[in-house]
Amino acid sequence: MALEKLQVDSLIVGGGIAGMQAALDLADQGYQVALVEKEASIGGKMIALSKVFPTLDCCSCITTPKMSAVAHHENIQLLTYCEVQALEENGGGYTALVEKKPRYVIEEDCTGCRECEYACPIDLPSDFDRGMGAYRAVRVPFSTAVPQVATLDIENCILCGKCEKVCPHGCIDFTQTARHFEIETTAIVLATGFEVTPKDAKKEYGAGQFDNVIDGLMMERLLAPTGPYGHVLRPGDGKEPDSIAYVQCAGSRDATLGIEYCSRVCCMYAIKQAMLLSGALPLADITIYYMDIRTFGKGYEQFYQTARAMGIEFVKGKVAQITEDENKNPVVRVEMLDEGSKIVERTHDLVVLSVGLLPGYNPGSLYGVPAADDGFVTVPSPNISPSETARPGIFVTGVAAGPMDIVDSIVLSGAAASEAAAYIEAHNSRVAVSESKGKKELAHV
Amino acid sequence: MSTEDKKTRAQLLKQLREQYRDTVDRTQALLKEHNAVRKEIFKAMGDEPRTVPEIAELSGVSSHEVLWHITALKKYDLVAEVGMDGEYYQYQKVKGGAS
Repeated sequence: MALEKLQVDSLIVGGGIAGMQAALDLADQGYQVALVEKEASIGGKMIALSKVFPTLDCCSCITTPKMSAVAHHENIQLLTYCEVQALEENGGGYTALVEKKPRYVIEEDCTGCRECEYACPIDLPSDFDRGMGAYRAVRVPFSTAVPQVATLDIENCILCGKCEKVCPHGCIDFTQTARHFEIETTAIVLATGFEVTPKDAKKEYGAGQFDNVIDGLMMERLLAPTGPYGHVLRPGDGKEPDSIAYVQCAGSRDATLGIEYCSRVCCMYAIKQAMLLSGALPLADITIYYMDIRTFGKGYEQFYQTARAMGIEFVKGKVAQITEDENKNPVVRVEMLDEGSKIVERTHDLVVLSVGLLPGYNPGSLYGVPAADDGFVTVPSPNISPSETARPGIFVTGVAAGPMDIVDSIVLSGAAASEAAAYIEAHNSRVAVSESKGKKELAHV
Repeated sequence: MSTEDKKTRAQLLKQLREQYRDTVDRTQALLKEHNAVRKEIFKAMGDEPRTVPEIAELSGVSSHEVLWHITALKKYDLVAEVGMDGEYYQYQKVKGGAS
């Protein structure tokens, strides 16, 4: 049987903030766009964050309208829970073979009422809440998910059928299987995002074994209004922390991990979180242990100075080791560089590792786009064409291109959309010229 | 649902359980483990407001694990946050929710 086919001008791979922005920038110019997202909802990492620096705008308030705009744009076809499996060149463009994974829920009929979720007996650690909260085997991914459709995780289901019994619209469909289709496109924009340094990467910091040593993304969830506990509590025992420390460069600029680059966001997110913590826990002591503070963006240095003025303690020194005392309080061993390099041990209620950004996905084999030594997609001419990859018609944006913050991701997505639009126009002109040539030749026959 | 439909549905679920036997068995073991832990947590809570360390001490379940279960139960309205005792929030069973 012939595969179902979609024809678009541009295929966007990844529905985080970078992919959504590139999709909207192309669609607003009138180009037909297909956005493929592997997860059940778009929103990427940004929708899980608390607030953005340096404006301290609520992340959900900024991201949700963009998610909605993508879902409702007449020029965008949103394809969630889908993955590109193969790519072929086709006369100046590309054909992508895409798999739509089964949700075991009839998307068109699901209203996102979550009756199935409440009936499901299986609680699992929630990836969205970085394991601190729970979700069910059948669930709407998170409260502002787009689309608002439940997805059944068959690998963690006992097939009890309770969800099917309570669904008011008869949406649960255990017979669903993966569906395949093709997308013919002129240009591709890769926005495949990032992962963070695993919490267990450094044995000196407890190798992920200490409940009260968390990473920056976990703190984002604790600070978010939709966070797992509804308050900033430490995961070890639910205590409201009085003393919180940040360990900077915990996974960046670290030759022992093979990650020698600066992740460019950790200083700012740590400062932002420290400021938010000062508001949430006014009596708490907050310390940031750092090697250098890098606040290079517009308004960032002022942001840092504001944090200092608020009473957040900045200690210049590299944390050598984190241990745990008998009450599960993390103990930080640090060389105080501004105090004659003396070695001290300080006890905190909660330690946050400012983990770095790692390439989340290697598009090399599938898209024929090489990665640089750091693992991020190679951009051969960053000064002239910042989003152009080594393969014609394939562009890259967001952290897939290298560590960058949300502000830079938005800017690069605009650039990627412009470069993709120019490529599409050039392609369409070539096609029009060759078609008119063909017609003239036919007229002479 | 007609008797015929009920039979077909039951047959389909049986077939699927066979197909996914390994993951179903693993998940059933997880459910059993969670139910056993929650039984201890609810016993420790009684009908009083309790903090996580109190529940952990009374139940013998680690405080980290107690917090995860309380968070899950709170999300699905089986436990409610009812106040604070020092640096810890207190939780109580929701009437008609938890057993």
